[in-house]
Amino acid sequence: MTSVRPKLKPETPKAVTAWETATGKCVWMTEVGTWSDDVAKAAAFTGEIAEARLAEAFKQEGKVTDPYFMEVTETGGITGRETIRETIRATGPTVAYGEGA
Amino acid sequence: MYRYDEFDARIVKDRVEQFRGQVTRRLSGELLEDEFKPLRLQNGVYLQLHAYMLRVAIPYGQLNGAKLRRLAEVSTKYDRGYGHFTTRQNIQYNWVALKDIPDALNDLAEVEMHAIQTSGNCIRNVTSDHFAGAAADEVMDPRPWCEIIRQWSTFHPEFAFLPRKFKFAVTAAAHDRAAIAVHDIGLRIVKRGEDVGFEVYAGGGQGRTPLLAALVNDFVPEAELLDYVEAIMRVYNRYGRRDNKYKARIKILVQELGPEEFTRQVEAEYAAQRRHEKIDLPQAEIDRIHAYFAPPAYDAEDGTEAFEAAKAAEPDFAQWAEVNLHPHKQAGHASVTVSLKPIGGAAGDATDRQMALVADLAERYAYDDIRVSHAQNLVLPHVPVKHLYAIWQALDAAGLATPNESLITDLIVCPGLDYCNLANARSIPIGQAVQEVFADPKYQREIGRLHINISGCINACGHHHVGHIGILGVDRKGEEFYQISLGGRADEKAAIGAIAGPALKGEDVPGAVKRIVDTYMALRTSPDELFIDTLERAGAEPFKEALYAAA
Repeated sequence: MTSVRPKLKPETPKAVTAWETATGKCVWMTEVGTWSDDVAKAAAFTGEIAEARLAEAFKQEGKVTDPYFMEVTETGGITGRETIRETIRATGPTVAYGEGA
Repeated sequence: MYRYDEFDARIVKDRVEQFRGQVTRRLSGELLEDEFKPLRLQNGVYLQLHAYMLRVAIPYGQLNGAKLRRLAEVSTKYDRGYGHFTTRQNIQYNWVALKDIPDALNDLAEVEMHAIQTSGNCIRNVTSDHFAGAAADEVMDPRPWCEIIRQWSTFHPEFAFLPRKFKFAVTAAAHDRAAIAVHDIGLRIVKRGEDVGFEVYAGGGQGRTPLLAALVNDFVPEAELLDYVEAIMRVYNRYGRRDNKYKARIKILVQELGPEEFTRQVEAEYAAQRRHEKIDLPQAEIDRIHAYFAPPAYDAEDGTEAFEAAKAAEPDFAQWAEVNLHPHKQAGHASVTVSLKPIGGAAGDATDRQMALVADLAERYAYDDIRVSHAQNLVLPHVPVKHLYAIWQALDAAGLATPNESLITDLIVCPGLDYCNLANARSIPIGQAVQEVFADPKYQREIGRLHINISGCINACGHHHVGHIGILGVDRKGEEFYQISLGGRADEKAAIGAIAGPALKGEDVPGAVKRIVDTYMALRTSPDELFIDTLERAGAEPFKEALYAAA
């Protein structure tokens, strides 16, 4: 069962995010189309450019898995209905774990 | 404990190498995610919010020192030094890299462990009473039958692509500690004279449509069990809905047909089995499996005097002994619950060091036997009372001696939105905030047995439907809200909780639970009347009023 993410309008700024296939690390597409595990490097895309970027991500299947659009501000900050989820995804669990607990 | 024979060992080893090949092809891009996903799921590998998650099977929650120590080592070597014990008595690693998983599975295979039957639409890990083989109130040890079901169901070709996942639970005690009523098939072992047989229940489950299982047959003789459950599986496999994932569990089929018609179809299927199709499990094979579960050579020394003296000298030990021990069938012994519910912790989590410690204690003092409970604790089922004080000291020093077994802070909590890709809301912080309100051990004991179960979404991994107080996280336009339900229970009087009213904000949940508990304390006829009994006697109204008062 995979979770279904909300559909975003073409004009809504969005980042492309995925998981690095080999490690499972969360990654975000940068302005130049490379991948970063730092959410601050996430680029905001809209319209056809966004669709093209997502299609590009799907072509890199060996490298990344399950890419999807995540709503962001014009400068790439997490926003919208999925803010809590995407923030936790980007910054880790909100509770201590392991020896840190 | 069951030990692998050459066939088991070969099956598991081959499986590791097969998955290694699949991972290699995934990493090279030869396999796409859509192709790889069903393969990884057949090997317990999920993709969660932050990373891959590896779920390792612990059949009927049975471990020994070597296995638990290896689980600890795997968490150190491939993960972040901890693991999460689940309501299916399994363990999950939250941060393991896909490229490392074949090596991790290879390490696990060395101690006869694997990730088979932990995901996918197959018969999943069979769960059971965590006090099996030890409890004073069981008619026999249910584990041999769990093992027989495990062997029958593992890679059963006919049931590899069921409409949906399928869960068995087995108990052998009148007091049900295995929640059989909320399983696809629940089995209770009973005796008629000297004859052993099974009460067979089918069609229970939680999730978005919680239903209690219906009694399909009140006595299936043990030799016929596998043929009988095979008849149930066949009816389900043929008529279970494959058109809608949300209606695909057997509970929907039983509900739509009605228990009587479902039973009629099962009986017809059973009667139609031809002689050569029958498994007709030979008594010699039943006996062979039973032999693996012979009781340990119990220590005959009476340690009661030292135990009583230690309790008198150490109030904290006495308190723990009062709460976390369970009566054992053998004189001079007890079953110990190792609490994985410290106040402010994450329910069911254990660090590598804690796991290694429990492994050591089991080997040194407790006949090398360890269980995982579906309530997300560890259990040392056989402990001579003379060793209890030493065990408590070691557990206490490691943060594993919280005296709260079955009390209000012994929560069942799913990982929720802190880890899970399906969750709508966080569960762990809500559990922690509720625990803080009731942190005082004396207060918890005054309240008595009270189960609070928390799920972060409707899939109900945190068993909220059967919590005396259930808490369900829901998403309201991007905000986390929590729905409270009252009156659920997972035991022999199983019931699905009823939603109390509108959902609350997370910050209001601890106060709401406190008001429910205050209402109970005021209404109960005596300290012996448990929360659930007061609720059943007085009805939900006074609790609902309190819940929404001054909120």
